[in-house]
Amino acid sequence: MRILYVNNDGAGFADYVNVTEGTTVEQFFTIKMEGREPSDYMIRVNRQPVPKDYVLQDGDRVTITPTKIEGARPALA
Amino acid sequence: MRKENFMKKQKNLIRLSNLLLDSLSEVKKAKLLQIQSVMEDFNIKCSEATKDSSLFCTAIEKGWLTGVENILSRIDRNLNDFSYYLQKFKELVNTDQAALPKFSEIYAELVQIEQEFGEIKFDSDKKTLSVTTEPITLEDIPLGPFEVQLSIGQIAKLYSDTPYGIIALEPNPASSNDSVTHPHVSDERLCEGDGRVAIRSAIEQGRFCDFFTMVVNILQTYNPDSPHISLDDWEGISCYDCGSTVSSDDCYYCEYCNEEYCSECSTYCQKCETTICLGCAYECPNCNVPVCHNCTAKCKKCEETFCKDCLTEEGLCNNCEEQRKENENEEQEQLSAEPKADVAVQPDSVGKTIVHA
Repeated sequence: MRILYVNNDGAGFADYVNVTEGTTVEQFFTIKMEGREPSDYMIRVNRQPVPKDYVLQDGDRVTITPTKIEGARPALA
Repeated sequence: MRKENFMKKQKNLIRLSNLLLDSLSEVKKAKLLQIQSVMEDFNIKCSEATKDSSLFCTAIEKGWLTGVENILSRIDRNLNDFSYYLQKFKELVNTDQAALPKFSEIYAELVQIEQEFGEIKFDSDKKTLSVTTEPITLEDIPLGPFEVQLSIGQIAKLYSDTPYGIIALEPNPASSNDSVTHPHVSDERLCEGDGRVAIRSAIEQGRFCDFFTMVVNILQTYNPDSPHISLDDWEGISCYDCGSTVSSDDCYYCEYCNEEYCSECSTYCQKCETTICLGCAYECPNCNVPVCHNCTAKCKKCEETFCKDCLTEEGLCNNCEEQRKENENEEQEQLSAEPKADVAVQPDSVGKTIVHA
């Protein structure tokens, strides 16, 4: 099945990805954001907060946004 | 009444969605125009290559070997430009051209913004869309709530300008600079750092809720490696001379230039005890102590500046005073060495008594 995956980490992108049936949102996070802590991210499915054992459905929209983003002063030319 | 309010709100969201959609169309159009411009540059380079090719053939046919060499060196130069334009053209064409979001998606974004941030503020005159953060405190310093204000009319300039501003609603700016209301905000501009690319992608793709979320997340995070003003120095004052930040208790105000200085860059007049900066202080060449302008005067003879204590009542410096004394002594000596013309000399025999035997 195919879901829309919006990743706001790094460069940020939105793309359709294939996931196996029965994948929970927690498993999806572990696969896509290997080594990262879910607590450092805001995860939304179809624009809503969901429990970590939510089973992804075909056509779902998953958004992962880091909660800590470091601002920085622009480098001097 | 409740229904009327609901309808009004829906109407506003629909109007706002249409405005946002229009501005995203402008972004798309601007990107396409950029491709068009690069494509035109590339076409010009292609035409030049065709022209050179034709000239090259003619020169060979006619046996103009010098001409052939000239054309070859021009082709060599043009090839470098050609590859540059080709690469630029390829990059632009291959850039992920985000499809324009549907109206329903924009509308859903606005509904989500309301859910995440509580309220959405739309100024129909200024055409701005805003959300307000919770009061933000970083490292125990309260910075107050901020309004993230997206200018819908500026979205088209997404890649050349910043289409949004950060307004401190209860500002607690850095004491050394009022325009810095947050370690990563100066003059209402956020330094996006790690979020720069993702923020622009989100706006371009119409993911406005993601945009606001990321901006708010930057505001809630402190990066001590690259702030405009470090939180350690937030409540301090920047020395006007060396720029170092000092607490307000450790800074000194110079009454002459009306600026504030750290202890290293300030001193005090050793005559009247006024605080002065090193730039306004004057070191008396006689006693070598720093004094303020009011406590100095010029020697009436040599016109050099001294502290008032090093000048005599007549307004002379030590050297000039010594010289004056020497001159005076010399004059006296000269006078004492010369015969006194005004002293009456007794003529011979005067006063003598004739003694008769």
